[in-house]
Amino acid sequence: MVLVLALGDLHIPHRAADLPEKFKSMLVPGKIQHVICTGNLCIKEVHDYLKTLCPDLHITRGEYDEEARYPETKTLMIGQFKLGLCHGHQIIPWGDLDSLAMLQRQLDVDILVTGHTHQFTAYKHEAGVVINPGSATGAYSSITYDVNPSFVLMDIDALRVVVYVYELIDGEVKVDKIDFKKTTQNAN
Amino acid sequence: MVNKRVPDWLNSSLWSSPGPQQSSVQSPSPSLTPLNDDDSTNRSTRSATKSSVATVNAVKAEFPVERPSAPTRHVATRAKQEIRDPLSSSSNNYHSDDDNGSSASSTTTSASAAAVAAAISSAEDISRQAQLCQELSRKIINMGEVRRLASQGIPDGAGIRATVWKLLLGYLPAEKALWPTELAKKRSQYKNFKEELLMNPSEITRKLEKSVILDDEGTAIDDKGALPRSEITQGDHPLSLGKNSIWNQFFQDTEIIEQIDRDVKRTHPDLHFFSGDTPFAKSNQDSLRNILIVFAKLNPGIRYVQGMNELLAPLFYVFRNDPNEENAASAEADTFFCFVELLSGFRDHFCQQLDNSVVGIRSTITKLSQFLKEHDEELWRHLEMTTKVNPQFYAFRWITLLLTQEFNFPDSLLIWDTLLSDPEGPLETLLRVCCAMLIIVRRRLLGGDFTSNLKLLQNYPSTNISHLLYVANKLRVKSAG
Repeated sequence: MVLVLALGDLHIPHRAADLPEKFKSMLVPGKIQHVICTGNLCIKEVHDYLKTLCPDLHITRGEYDEEARYPETKTLMIGQFKLGLCHGHQIIPWGDLDSLAMLQRQLDVDILVTGHTHQFTAYKHEAGVVINPGSATGAYSSITYDVNPSFVLMDIDALRVVVYVYELIDGEVKVDKIDFKKTTQNAN
Repeated sequence: MVNKRVPDWLNSSLWSSPGPQQSSVQSPSPSLTPLNDDDSTNRSTRSATKSSVATVNAVKAEFPVERPSAPTRHVATRAKQEIRDPLSSSSNNYHSDDDNGSSASSTTTSASAAAVAAAISSAEDISRQAQLCQELSRKIINMGEVRRLASQGIPDGAGIRATVWKLLLGYLPAEKALWPTELAKKRSQYKNFKEELLMNPSEITRKLEKSVILDDEGTAIDDKGALPRSEITQGDHPLSLGKNSIWNQFFQDTEIIEQIDRDVKRTHPDLHFFSGDTPFAKSNQDSLRNILIVFAKLNPGIRYVQGMNELLAPLFYVFRNDPNEENAASAEADTFFCFVELLSGFRDHFCQQLDNSVVGIRSTITKLSQFLKEHDEELWRHLEMTTKVNPQFYAFRWITLLLTQEFNFPDSLLIWDTLLSDPEGPLETLLRVCCAMLIIVRRRLLGGDFTSNLKLLQNYPSTNISHLLYVANKLRVKSAG
């Protein structure tokens, strides 16, 4: 039972001041085992804050990140799942499923987490699952102003992943979940 | 008549444990005989009551000499024998006419005499063992008889300790025919507890939900598209801070589970049964951990308190080493229920809020203090008034942990035999044994100041256990007069 927090595109301090209060009250240290961040934090203070949530922190570089030394892509193994991480501004067209699928095959991962579009999406295709946690602060994106703050918490348990989606809609936190099982077909 | 005098039988040097200057003996076995021979000659010199006391003592002293079944017991026996020798020499000094003086002081005694001593002790043993076995083989067991026999100590020979303890703690009913059904029922109950309580929230959520889970076999055909979102079960999610959230409860429990884990790893580091890298030790530790976690979850009022692992260890050890294979395999379930039963009398000692109440630990310690005052006012006054050794400093550990930390493991099993055999619950006997512990070292206590007394009581010297239990038993008879 491994809890993995996936979030990104916070754009602090340029486009947003901080995470929403309701999100901050839920994110307490000690519960989460891994944090993966798609990028665009943008400053070191945010990095330190995420580090307090959990010492195992993985970040990829977004185009506005001030820290130049984050990698472009990252892969890690959690339980039976291979996770891939990339900011997504490199994939053109932005947010296009086929192109993301290409990246997924390149990285050879089961779950690909990308951002940049500031919209939560979860797609499935033959090679695996592509998740976009959206923007955790609700910062405006290059495409749209209308952004709901959202992030994703994954519960990885042997061959099963339960993806909990946290969205702040009209000032209330709404939680949904998505189930995903890895079968031998998908294990390429 | 002032009550402060110490009873005469207590004044004999036989009852006090030797000071540190009397060092140990050369060879263990011959030391048995001087005591035995001494007392047989002393029978004529002393008064009738004293002689009966002495003979019983001699026989009782031989009791711990048992067949060296386990290495730990063997070591314990050797230690006891070494102490007994200074006892015999001090008793020699007490009596002027001692025609066995040569044999007593020297260590060269004939092998036949040693054999006689051993024979007497094992005869006692064997008879008690036979009596116990006979009791246990009846269809309806006479609990009073079993209690009486057990209070003198359960011999190691027939491996009956596990069964006797289960009877004493009320786990097994007196009617033997009911045993298989009772055992099966309890064991399956424990299994259910484990399944329910040791599950993590992911598994619980999986069980609870009845919604359609994405079945990859079925949707292999449509290999693209948005994943369907579904509602969360009962509004519960991993970051929930609600009181009813299983996730929240899980994270709150992790603290306790960590504490239990730490304590289990520290239980009896000297025994291979509990510590070490062998799979056997690890499985035993796992069992201990499971039992404590299930107990903590079933008892939210008291949860887990440090020290419960020490109470659990002897129970588990005895049940796991049951020669009956089937019982040994289900030792975990049996230990759980017996642990609950044992703790039911002592729960209040572990509850911090009850510390100052009538049932809490402080009041029990006061009871002990009163007890000591009744039986040995001089010692009581010296301890509490003159040297100001507050009984809380030493008795807390004695009482809450049922003396498991004061003596070595085999000795504490013997003490527990006596404690568990008390029909009114172990507490009364426990207080008597604690009082006996104080009285046995009274000489050193009376001669010491705060520091030395505290040091002595917190590191209680090893003594002859049957001697200790005998004194404790005497205290039952001689109440304040």
